[in-house]
Amino acid sequence: MSPLDFCTRIRLIAGTTFLEAVRQKFFNSLLLISIALVGSSTFFQQFDFGAGELKFITDFGFGALFFFGSILSITATTQLFFNEIENRTALTMLAKPVYKLEFLAGKFLGAQLLMFCFTLVITLVLSGILYWRESALLDRLGDEVSLDGPLIRYGDVFLFGFLQWLKFGILAAITLFVASFSNTNLYTIVVSFFVLVICQLQYIARDAYSGMEAGWERLLVFGLGLIFPNFQLFNIGDQLVFDVEKALPASTVLQITCYGLIYAVVFILLAQVNFRRREI
Amino acid sequence: MASLLQQPILQRCSRIFSVLLVLLLLGWMTRPIEAPAWEVVKAGQPEMNLGAIEGALGQGLVVGMLGGFRAILADFLWIRTSTIWERRDRVKLDAMIRLVTTLDPRPDFFWINGSRMIAYDVPNWRIREEGGYDKVPELRQHALDLEQAEQAFDLIDEALEFHPGKAKLYLEKGQIYLNRLKDDANAANWFLKASQQADAPYFAARIYAELLRNQGKNEEAYVFLKELHNSLPNVPFAQKGIILERIRELENTLKIPLWQRFEADKSLGASESESQFNAAVPAPHQHEH
Repeated sequence: MSPLDFCTRIRLIAGTTFLEAVRQKFFNSLLLISIALVGSSTFFQQFDFGAGELKFITDFGFGALFFFGSILSITATTQLFFNEIENRTALTMLAKPVYKLEFLAGKFLGAQLLMFCFTLVITLVLSGILYWRESALLDRLGDEVSLDGPLIRYGDVFLFGFLQWLKFGILAAITLFVASFSNTNLYTIVVSFFVLVICQLQYIARDAYSGMEAGWERLLVFGLGLIFPNFQLFNIGDQLVFDVEKALPASTVLQITCYGLIYAVVFILLAQVNFRRREI
Repeated sequence: MASLLQQPILQRCSRIFSVLLVLLLLGWMTRPIEAPAWEVVKAGQPEMNLGAIEGALGQGLVVGMLGGFRAILADFLWIRTSTIWERRDRVKLDAMIRLVTTLDPRPDFFWINGSRMIAYDVPNWRIREEGGYDKVPELRQHALDLEQAEQAFDLIDEALEFHPGKAKLYLEKGQIYLNRLKDDANAANWFLKASQQADAPYFAARIYAELLRNQGKNEEAYVFLKELHNSLPNVPFAQKGIILERIRELENTLKIPLWQRFEADKSLGASESESQFNAAVPAPHQHEH
């Protein structure tokens, strides 16, 4: 197995998976709903009592990206994996000189390409709306305010999108890991959602651990904090876009990126260990 | 022994333990990358740094699960809170204010308006429920005011965990003491605290001085106003003219000799009222003693 062949096979599987995913009605409907929701954020803004208009739109867009992105990442990965198993196309594919790791990596990359498209479209729509509202606001204020720079740092919108995409990567890898030992679609989706919730709230257990007295409970909470990745690390929307003083240092972004990549790779490898033993 | 190890259940258990062990090791090995990043991320989000575990759990769930949608959800629930407020359902109102502020603690609007409803409106409803202002003894009315004000103060204290140093919240406490409880001494303390915050409005310090005067602490008010006048910038909002007027009033009340009277720094540019006052009361250096 030469590395070139290995990469080619993964690329082919990823490409096919991506095309198959893009054609799915579920992806298209979810994408349309998300775009509509982000687009309508200016309408929902009239119900806002606390935050400023631009902050509200940003929060709303980030919320839509996280919420629908998580749903899409789990369901699309599950569907793409089980379609091959249920349609028996996996048998044909794996009968050829295609390794199970290549199959899993291809599926993962295909799902990630899909998530990339989703994230890119949502961040573009969000940036467009923010730009429109920012221009309207500046026109309205006219010479009343003097600004050193733009109100919004658009790079941060894309940075948030990138970090969410990384998180979707870990989520897709976890979903593949669950799918590698699960027999049904539903079981995989439900378990993956539970894992998502645990990963989102993992930091609370860690905080509790730091305040606990020594004992088996402390050990248990410490263990839980280590087993599940910390997804809250990727939720940095509040620190981005507006407040220059709160801007995230490049080293932190790099650390979060490394963290996301390591977890995604390890979960794919763990999925491969399970999948290798599996009878298809 | 070998056949025992071949048991499917044991094999499955060993696989589960292996996976858990790998994940534990992974968590431990990635800690040097994750911990510093987490410190930075956590420091930027006050709702992740709550001392009380109940608060931390509630906020963790909200932030973790709702993310950016919490703002819109809190807004819709606030509209519902207003409906409940119109119906004067105080039990539900309290629960709704808690819910809204838990969902989105970032805007001070919810905290301030929630505390106003609790401190000003609910005592009125309760007094009316008990027969009205004519029938309920004043002692009972005051007890109800106090009870509700305590609840409002708890809410503001909670708000200060999310917005440390926010002058508006200190002012709100001061206002409740002043307007509802008629407690000038405590109100003065909170207006002073408000005036010491970075985003404090200029009037906070002036009200503090007035409250000192109301309590008969004229000397203290005089010293404070003199220091305040010197420290304020020469901008219209600072209302230095009014402060100087009050200084002069206090000087008259305290019978401060002319040569010991406060001399405003003219280089800062006196306002109209200040110049008028200076014309009426000549500055000490214009006299020969």
